Amino acid sequence: MKKTIAIVEDERAIRDNYAAAFSREGYAVRGYANRRDAMAAFAARLPDLAVIDISLEDEPEGGFELCRELRGLSAELPIIFLTARDSELDAVSGLRLGADDFLTKDLSLAHLIARVNALFRRVDALRRPAEEKQVIRRGALTLDSERMSVEWNGQVVLLSLTEFWIVYALTKHPGHVKNRQQLMDAANVVLDDNTITSHIKRIRRKFQVVDEKFDAVHTVYGMGYRWVE
Amino acid sequence: MGRISDLLNFGPISPFRLRTKLLLLALTTLALPWAGCQYAREMETVLRESEQQSLLAVATTVAGSLKGRQELLFRADSLPALDGVNSRDITPVVLSGAPLIDGRADEWDTNARSLVRVAGPGGDGLRLLAATHERWLYLALLVHDDKVVYDSSEMTPLDSATIGDRIWLAFDDKRGGQQRLFFGSTGAGTVRARRIETREYGREEAVEEPRIEAVWQRARDGYVLEIGIPLSLVGQRVGVLIDDRDRRGAARTSYGTLDVADLRATGRLIAASPDLNDHLKQFSQPGVELTVASSTGAVLTRLDAPALPGDYTGMRGFLPRMYRLFLDGGAIPRNVSQAERARATQALTARAARGTPQSTLFAGPYENRVIVAAAAPIFGADGKQVIGVIQLAQTADRWLTLRDRALTRLLNLTLFVTLFAVGAAFWFAGRMTLRISRLGAASETALSREGSVSRVLPEERAKDELGDLSRSFSSLLGRLDEYTGYLRTLAGKLAHEIRTPLTIIRSSLENLESEAQSSNGLGDNAKVYIARAREGSERLAAILTAMGAATKVEEAIAHSERQRFDLTALVRTAVAAYGSAFPQRQFACEIPADPVEMTGAPDLIVQMLDKLVDNAVDFSAEGATISVVLRAEGAHAELSVANPGPPLPAEAHKRLFESLWQSRAEADKRPHFGLGLYIVRLIAEFHGGTAQAANLADNSGAIFSVRLAR
Repeated sequence: MKKTIAIVEDERAIRDNYAAAFSREGYAVRGYANRRDAMAAFAARLPDLAVIDISLEDEPEGGFELCRELRGLSAELPIIFLTARDSELDAVSGLRLGADDFLTKDLSLAHLIARVNALFRRVDALRRPAEEKQVIRRGALTLDSERMSVEWNGQVVLLSLTEFWIVYALTKHPGHVKNRQQLMDAANVVLDDNTITSHIKRIRRKFQVVDEKFDAVHTVYGMGYRWVE
Repeated sequence: MGRISDLLNFGPISPFRLRTKLLLLALTTLALPWAGCQYAREMETVLRESEQQSLLAVATTVAGSLKGRQELLFRADSLPALDGVNSRDITPVVLSGAPLIDGRADEWDTNARSLVRVAGPGGDGLRLLAATHERWLYLALLVHDDKVVYDSSEMTPLDSATIGDRIWLAFDDKRGGQQRLFFGSTGAGTVRARRIETREYGREEAVEEPRIEAVWQRARDGYVLEIGIPLSLVGQRVGVLIDDRDRRGAARTSYGTLDVADLRATGRLIAASPDLNDHLKQFSQPGVELTVASSTGAVLTRLDAPALPGDYTGMRGFLPRMYRLFLDGGAIPRNVSQAERARATQALTARAARGTPQSTLFAGPYENRVIVAAAAPIFGADGKQVIGVIQLAQTADRWLTLRDRALTRLLNLTLFVTLFAVGAAFWFAGRMTLRISRLGAASETALSREGSVSRVLPEERAKDELGDLSRSFSSLLGRLDEYTGYLRTLAGKLAHEIRTPLTIIRSSLENLESEAQSSNGLGDNAKVYIARAREGSERLAAILTAMGAATKVEEAIAHSERQRFDLTALVRTAVAAYGSAFPQRQFACEIPADPVEMTGAPDLIVQMLDKLVDNAVDFSAEGATISVVLRAEGAHAELSVANPGPPLPAEAHKRLFESLWQSRAEADKRPHFGLGLYIVRLIAEFHGGTAQAANLADNSGAIFSVRLAR
C-alpha cells in the first residue's frame, strides 16, 4: 500500500508542485490549504507523514497549532515543517512541538524527498528490532543510523533529522574537521553560516541536557567542526 | 541630521550671548531707582509746595489775627504809612542779642535804614540809631562835634555855669505824661540820666532815673552815647536833643528830634507794642521764625525759631549724601551771600506790603539748608490798607529730612531689588542656557552616525516650552527611528516575501526536470532554457540569502551567549583557513605571543573576520598580500585587516559601515548589498567596540580595523 503524505500549505502552486514530486516518488499525497480542513481529514484518518507550513491562510501560527494537535493524535507520526519563515525562534518552537525536522523552502525537491524517504525508513526501522551493524559507538556515544537515534551514556538524545545527520557526519570520522559544505551535503540541506552555527549550538545543548560536561563538538574557526572523543 | 545640528548649533559664544541678553534685560530694573528718584523729586516738590502753602497759611492766619489791631502792632498811635514819612520817627532794629552798652559805635550798623540824621550847626550833626532786644530799647547817638565841652555839673546839675554838652532824651510814658531826661557829657563812662523835677515852691531838682543805663564815650570826631531804656517806660514817642555848647556855661545850640521849645518828643517810636510778642507766641512752632514788619519793611519784632526736635537734623552717611548729590538738581541756588538773602527777604516783604501773600524759597546760610519763607499782609480795619507784614521763615530741614529718609529707604530697596533681579536673571539665564545646550547636545547625539536613534532626551518631563521642544524632538526622533528601523528590516522582509514565489518557480522547475527525465519529452533547447531558469532562480536565492544576512546576524546576536576565549588562537586558525579558502591571495598574520583573552561570541568574531577578509579579497588583486593584525591594548583588542588596492572614496569613511551602502566600482557576479561591513559593525558593537575604515598611509590600499572590548 502506498504511503500517504499530507501537505498542509496555503500556497496552491507550491502545494501542487510538492504533491507532484511526491506522487512521482510513489507516495499518495493529500493537500490541505488550512488547519480546519487538515484536522478534519486527520481525525478521520492519519497520514503516514505530514509536511506543514507555519502560516496557513488566516492563521499566521496555524502550522504550530496543527503540529501540536497532530502530535496529540499520534506520537510517532513524522512531521516536517517546511516554511518560508527561517528565524531561529520559529525553528526552536517548531522542534519543541515535536516536529522531526524544520526546513526552509530554499530546500530543493530532491533534498526534501531524501528526507521524507529517510523518515519513512526510520519509522520502518523502529518497528524492527535494532540491528547491531548499523550502530556506531564512540565512547559514550551510541548512534543507530537506521533508527536515527542517539544515546549518550545510555541516555536518549532527541535530535531532529538535520541535527542527526550532522552528528552522524561528524562522528563517522572523529577528529576530522567537517566544513560547512560537507555538513550541508550530509544533511541534504543548503544552509548559511548562522543556521549551521545554530544547529551546532542546538546539538551541543541537547547533549548537555543529559551530560553537563559534554564537549565533543569542537569549533575549528574559519574551517568547520569536528568530533573529539 | 546636518540640518538639525545646524539649527541647534550652540557654539561656545552663543550661550554667553543668551546670558548677556538676559543680564541686560535684568539691568533694565535699574530704571527702578531712576523712577524712584523721579518720584522722590516729585514728592520733594509736593512737600516743598505744601510746606510753602502751609507756611503761607500760617502767615495769613497770623496776619488775620492782627487784622485791624494796629494798637497791638505798634506803639505809635498812628500808622507811619498813613502819616507819610516822618524824619523824626525812630524805627529800631530788632536785634537777636542784647548789645553791650559801652559807648562804642562799632557794633551798630551805621548804614541801617532806620538811621535818623539830624544836622546841627556848622558841620556838627547827630546820627541816631535805635534797636530793640526783648524788653529793651537801645539808642546810640553818634554825635559829630568839633568841640566837645565836658559837663561838670555832676554835683550841681542846675548850675548853668557848669553845664557843657548835654543830651536830652524825651518820651511819653504810658500814662500820657512826658518824660524829659538829660545826660551830661561828663567823660567816658556811665552817665546817669536825670530828670528835672519842680518841687515845692518852684524849687527845681535833678533826680536820677536809675532804670535807664547809658555810657558816654569820646569818639574821633565827637562822642557817642549809648542808652538802654526798658521798653516798659516808653510810650509811643521818643526823641533826643543835643544841647551843643562852645564852652561851659555858654548859650546852647540845640538840634535833635525833640521839639526845641518844650522838649516834647515828636518822633514816633515805630516798634512793636509790648503785647505783640505775647500775641505772636501762640503761633510759634518749632523751626519757624516769625517776623512782624511794618508796611515800610521795618522789622517790628522777631520771634526766633524754637529748636527743632533732634530727628529733623538731616541724614548723614555716604549713601544719603550720594543720593542728595544727584537729586538736588539746581532747584535752589547755593552759596548765596548774606546781602542777597537780605534782599530776597526784603523783596518778599515788599510784595506782601503791597497786599499779596507770597512764599518763596532761598538758600540758607549753611550748606544744604534751604529756607522757606512766606509773607502775608496785615490789613487795617478797613481791609484794604496794609498796616504791616507777617513773615515766616523756616529751614527746609524738615521736609528735606523726610525726603532724604524716604529716598534712602526707596533707593536702598530698589538697589537691593535690582541686585536681586540681576542675580536672578543671571541664574535663570545660566540654567536656561545649560538646559538648552544639554538638549542641543542630546539631540545632536541622539541620531548616531550609524542611524540608530536614542529617544531619551533631557527635559522630557519639563512643563515649559523647553519640555515641549524636547518632546517634539523626541517624537521626531521616534518617527525617524521607525523609518530607519523600517529601512533596516526592509531587506529581511523583502527576502522573506520573495521566498514564496521563488519556491514556486524552483519547485516547478524541478518538477519540470523530473518530468523531462522520466518521459524524455523535452528537447535539448528546452533543457538549456530550464538550466538557465534554474541558474536564475539560484542567483535569486543567493540574493535573498544575502539580503537576509543582516537580519540573520542580528538574530544570531540576540541569541548568542558570551564566553571567555583566546582571540589569538581564533585568529590564527581562521587565517590559516583563509589561506586554503583563498589560494589566490597571500595572508600575513601578526598576532601577540601571549594569549589575548576576551569575553564574547567566538562564532560571531569569526563571522566578522570572514566579512573583513571577504571584503579585502574583493578589493585586492590576485596574488596580493592581505595582512591580519591583532593587538591587545589594555581593555581593548584591535583586529585589523589591510589590503592593497584602490583607496576608499572620500565619503566612504563615514558611511562604509552603514546598512545597504556600498562602493563598488564594477558589477560583480556575487550579489552585494553593502551588508558585509554593516554586519562587521553589528558584531563589533555587540562586543562593545567600534569599526573603522581608513586608507593606508601611502594610499596603496585600505585598512579596516575593529576595536573590541575585552
